[in-house]
Amino acid sequence: MKTIHGALAVVTMALAACSSTPPPKDLTSARAAYDRASQGPAQEHDPADLDAGKKQLDRAEASFEEDGDTQETRDRAYVALRKIELAESVGRSRQSDKKAESVEDAMHAAQGRAVANTSAELGRAKSQLATQGIALQDERSRRMDAEKRAQQAAADLAKFATVKQEERGMVISLSGSVLFASGKSELLPAAQARLTEVATALSREDPLSKIVVEGHTDSQGSAPFNQELSQRRAQSVRDYLVTRGIAGDRVVAQGFGLTRAIADNGSAEGRANNRRVEIVVQPPTPAQ
Amino acid sequence: MSSWIFSLVVATPLLASCGASVPPPTQRMADAQSAHRSAQELGANEVPEAQLSLKLAGDQIAQADKAMSEGENARADSLLIRAQADAELAIAQAREEKSSAGVTDAVTDSAAQKATNAGQGAVK
Repeated sequence: MKTIHGALAVVTMALAACSSTPPPKDLTSARAAYDRASQGPAQEHDPADLDAGKKQLDRAEASFEEDGDTQETRDRAYVALRKIELAESVGRSRQSDKKAESVEDAMHAAQGRAVANTSAELGRAKSQLATQGIALQDERSRRMDAEKRAQQAAADLAKFATVKQEERGMVISLSGSVLFASGKSELLPAAQARLTEVATALSREDPLSKIVVEGHTDSQGSAPFNQELSQRRAQSVRDYLVTRGIAGDRVVAQGFGLTRAIADNGSAEGRANNRRVEIVVQPPTPAQ
Repeated sequence: MSSWIFSLVVATPLLASCGASVPPPTQRMADAQSAHRSAQELGANEVPEAQLSLKLAGDQIAQADKAMSEGENARADSLLIRAQADAELAIAQAREEKSSAGVTDAVTDSAAQKATNAGQGAVK
């Protein structure tokens, strides 16, 4: 009976040592740390260190199961806790590094887009400039063409007419023999082409200017006859200019007969100079 | 005579198990000191969590040194294994601080960049 009691006491003590010894604090901490770590970033970002921590925790558990709360169990649990915490820390570091990387990638992508936008804008500005340049070139060559045409018109006009700038305005003088047969007021066919050029030149003048077509004769024949003839000739020229696009209300005809000789009627050359039509372009008066 | 020999045979393994014959853990000591230095160089002293781990490592290295000088090599060995784990943890914690600061920097840079881009956009 006594030996049975003794054996029972030994068994009880052994059981107590095995099952009811509370685990050391480091072991419970390591268990909790592992539970936490296996849910956290270490699981994804540092599985190797987490696994090493788990193995160390298993060694601590084995030591605790076999020998209870010994120094060795405590040492193993202590190391297990640190290894698991290390896995958690490394896991968080790698998570942060990835985040920083993705933020930087996004930033670089944004920079890339900004550069692309800027260069696209530059491209648009360049092509706009080029278009403007072409337009400018076009305008310049158009003006040069117009100037050339005006010079050409003036040169053409100078072949059969004299152009003078006088106080009363620009005066285009046409020889009577070029325009009319002797004693007639109908335009010669050659005259029409020349008057067309005159009309072209006139159409370039200020549209507000008034035009007076003056008829002049030499002194041969009676004054009334010459007055009548010069009036009809001026009218013929005036009417023709109107058919060539000069506005009718801008241009009037006036006959002066033999009253305004510019050369000596005593010579054939002087009389030829006196037989003429003058087209006077009067600049618009400020009052108009 | 035979009982003297017997006691010698029994006593030798006993002495061995007591730790008298465990060699001094000089390699472990060197490793732990090296890890401790690395943690210091990585700035573990400036990071609160790492600072604690660094202190635990340093304290246990000192205790192990004392244990070795008293011939308690087994005890020293255990202390150095713990110190090594603390020093390595301190290293990881110091790096974690840097990584976290890296995210803050990247976010700040990114915000600055956005502001610059927006500014350039407004200028056009």
